[in-house]
Amino acid sequence: MTAAPATAARGRPTATVVRRRVRASTLFAIMCVIAVVMLYPFFYMLDNAFRNQSQFSGQGGHSTVSWGQLFTELPVWRELFNSTLICAVSILLILAVSTTAGFAFAKLQYRASGWVFLGVVAALMVPLQSIIIPEYVNLGKLGLINTYLGAILVYVALGTPFATFLMATYYRGISDDLIEAAVMDGLSYERTFLRIALPLSWPAIATVTVLQFIQIWDDLLVGLLFLQNPQQRTITVGLAALSAGRTTSIPVLMAGSFVSALPAIIVYLIFQRHLVKGLTMGMGK
Amino acid sequence: MAVVVALLGIPIAQAIYYSMTNWNGLTATWIGPSTYSTALSDPTFWRVLENNALLLLSIPFAIGIPLGIAALLHEHVRGWRFFRSVYFLPTAVSWVVIGMVAVQFFAYQGLLNKLLADVGLGSFQTNMLAGQRSALVALAITFIWSMLGTNTIIFLTGMSTLDPTLLEAARVDGLHRRQIFLRVTLPLLKRFVQFSFVITVISAFSALFSLIFVMTNGGPGYGTTTLEFFVYQSAFSLGQFGTGALYGIILFVIMVTVGLVQLRLIRSEDGEGW
Repeated sequence: MTAAPATAARGRPTATVVRRRVRASTLFAIMCVIAVVMLYPFFYMLDNAFRNQSQFSGQGGHSTVSWGQLFTELPVWRELFNSTLICAVSILLILAVSTTAGFAFAKLQYRASGWVFLGVVAALMVPLQSIIIPEYVNLGKLGLINTYLGAILVYVALGTPFATFLMATYYRGISDDLIEAAVMDGLSYERTFLRIALPLSWPAIATVTVLQFIQIWDDLLVGLLFLQNPQQRTITVGLAALSAGRTTSIPVLMAGSFVSALPAIIVYLIFQRHLVKGLTMGMGK
Repeated sequence: MAVVVALLGIPIAQAIYYSMTNWNGLTATWIGPSTYSTALSDPTFWRVLENNALLLLSIPFAIGIPLGIAALLHEHVRGWRFFRSVYFLPTAVSWVVIGMVAVQFFAYQGLLNKLLADVGLGSFQTNMLAGQRSALVALAITFIWSMLGTNTIIFLTGMSTLDPTLLEAARVDGLHRRQIFLRVTLPLLKRFVQFSFVITVISAFSALFSLIFVMTNGGPGYGTTTLEFFVYQSAFSLGQFGTGALYGIILFVIMVTVGLVQLRLIRSEDGEGW
């Protein structure tokens, strides 16, 4: 009689352990399946980029013909350069405006600052498609269509509200005492900003940079409309134009897809943490 | 500083101003508000709105599946960090690229049909992108796939803010895992669910452009034309800038309405004090 509960007591942990192991392996298996679903497109891209036209249509085997075609027949380098240039200048401008404005919203009180900030937040809700036509007309009048500057201005206008919102949220987290102490010590607001607030805010700056980089690099609509000249096309727009043409071989398209996706993926892998923070920081409210 | 703020504020005010007033776009002649009734009686417009409404049906999946994935990740099984990175990866990739691969996936010789044939459902093989409704389904599936990473991350962040002692208490009280998830975790995650809902709705209305452009170009017919794509089509393919701008304003109104309803919901729930 006394032995029975003892065995049960000894037996139970093993049963639990077994059950936990089964559960863990099941979970692991499910995660692997999902991972395959998420990674398959990337595998597909690479797998077919290393084929030629006949290998793609069922012959099997691999080759690097399509890569050669991609770089010789298409202005890929030019497009990569355009993308890089536009991203870099846009991000610099967005940072210049959003850090200063964010600091002002968070730390300086002036008339109607609350309302202006509300305006910035409201601007977040304006869908691009609603303003793109007036924007197109305006820039057309200024002669900025098909210039880098035109596209950059649009990207900056689109990216700044959210960036400002993020920066303001971040600066609010910096203690007022620190700023006040600096001002008491005789620093002007400008110097306080440059010497104290700005260096403190680099994590937020990194977040803004990564978010904007991915957004601008991956964008199609703005580039499609404001940079219609193939000379200034970004890689993403060039790719979409290729696919719309339907004449290019699919392996070449896949190689192009991979080339255009790679920089964003690399940035993502390096700055993953900042990207996640940026996505969820929108909830700071 | 004030100068900087002005530099920021003016373009935004300008953008709002243009979005509100310039609805007649490039058309040199002033027609007046009657353009709205003309546009609203256009059957194509309603066809397009119907597509938008149907796409909204994908939202439960675009939120439910990531919720499940986040719950799995939150168990912290071996390699969960790796899986997290993998699941989030599509967020970094352009929807142009995603659309490009999706076209191949759904194509007649694509993987989907191959899979169907392999499991003996060969008779179901179709070219999904060729039919109006099936193309919309294909678009919705691609959309759900693209949103998985973002929404999973939002929920995972939410779950990491939960108080572990609360879950422990629920466990001590004898609740099963599923009960804990439904009765404790989910209600606490409400704010995050709402946030992802907003993001998903906004994306469904205003971020699908690249996907549509690459996958179907709005077709077949108007089968996959959503309002945002219709704006582009009207203005830049058909040259009707006024009509395009008008649809843009309608889109804007819809987005603001969604935003306000959302805000209302959050406010009223805060009033109840959870």
